[in-house]
Amino acid sequence: MTLWIVIVLAGIATFSMRFVFIALFGVVAVPPLLERALRYVAPAVLAALSIPAVVAPDKALDLINPFVPAAIIGGLAAWYTKSIGAAIVVGLPVLWIVLWLT
Amino acid sequence: MDRIPTWREGMRDAAPILLGVAPFGLIFGVTAAASGLDQFPLWASSLIVFAGASQLAIVDVLGNGGAAITALLTAIVINSRHLMYSADMGRYTSGLPIGLRARMAYVLTDQAYLVTATRFADPTKTEGLAGYYFGAAMSLWTTWQITTTTGFLLGNFIPEEWRLEFAIPMVFLALLVFSVKSKPGLVAAIVGGTVAVVAVNLDYQLGLMVGAAAGILSGLVSERWFA
Repeated sequence: MTLWIVIVLAGIATFSMRFVFIALFGVVAVPPLLERALRYVAPAVLAALSIPAVVAPDKALDLINPFVPAAIIGGLAAWYTKSIGAAIVVGLPVLWIVLWLT
Repeated sequence: MDRIPTWREGMRDAAPILLGVAPFGLIFGVTAAASGLDQFPLWASSLIVFAGASQLAIVDVLGNGGAAITALLTAIVINSRHLMYSADMGRYTSGLPIGLRARMAYVLTDQAYLVTATRFADPTKTEGLAGYYFGAAMSLWTTWQITTTTGFLLGNFIPEEWRLEFAIPMVFLALLVFSVKSKPGLVAAIVGGTVAVVAVNLDYQLGLMVGAAAGILSGLVSERWFA
């Protein structure tokens, strides 16, 4: 039930954010500070989501674990190919190899 | 450029992007199915939320024992970038009926916005815009529904040894690589990631929110260093 509530509220909020300025064009403008801040939302949130999972998988800083090489090589693959799929197709096998070797 | 764009043209321009969206949809479906969380609402999130990174974030936060409020806030913060697209699309759509604009808003995504803004560089020449936009946006929407559903079906058959849970941070990492487009953006990512690691033990996965806030703030502050 909690999951339904989270998803329905996220859906309502997301639709509202998509619609607000389309609906209110000419009535309300985007505040300039918000416009600037929005540029940094994606890099900040995505780093906060991904980096701890790689360097602190057990909730404590641990720079030498199998996720680190997998993330670096998978990240490079993503950068090079501009593709999410490549990050997985390259990153996961690196993880398997490192887990198998250690 | 004098021809009036059509939905067919919108579909054609979106087609290469579908190749990038399809694996993301599959990965979301597969990891959501394997997360141990209730599958039906997660599957329905493709229809209700229709925003991949936020859907995956909900799986990630709740799958790691985070609080519902953290999952919701994370999804909202990730999707706040749509405010930018909404503001820009508003310039093109001001003459259209409000009901049509609402439907356009429901299928607004990074890719649909970018394709449309590229094709209609001049906001005063918007003839054929709605058709073109829906051609692009609906092919993205359809691809997302099909691939996430396929992922859910596959996810139930993938063995645990594949460590598929690692696909979640890997997707976020790939999106992170694509999202850093400026020096202040890089500062936002470094600070956001570092603070989230330092705050990793906060209850309810709140370190995520603290890191995101610190990252956004430092991006803003660092603008003057690079000006």
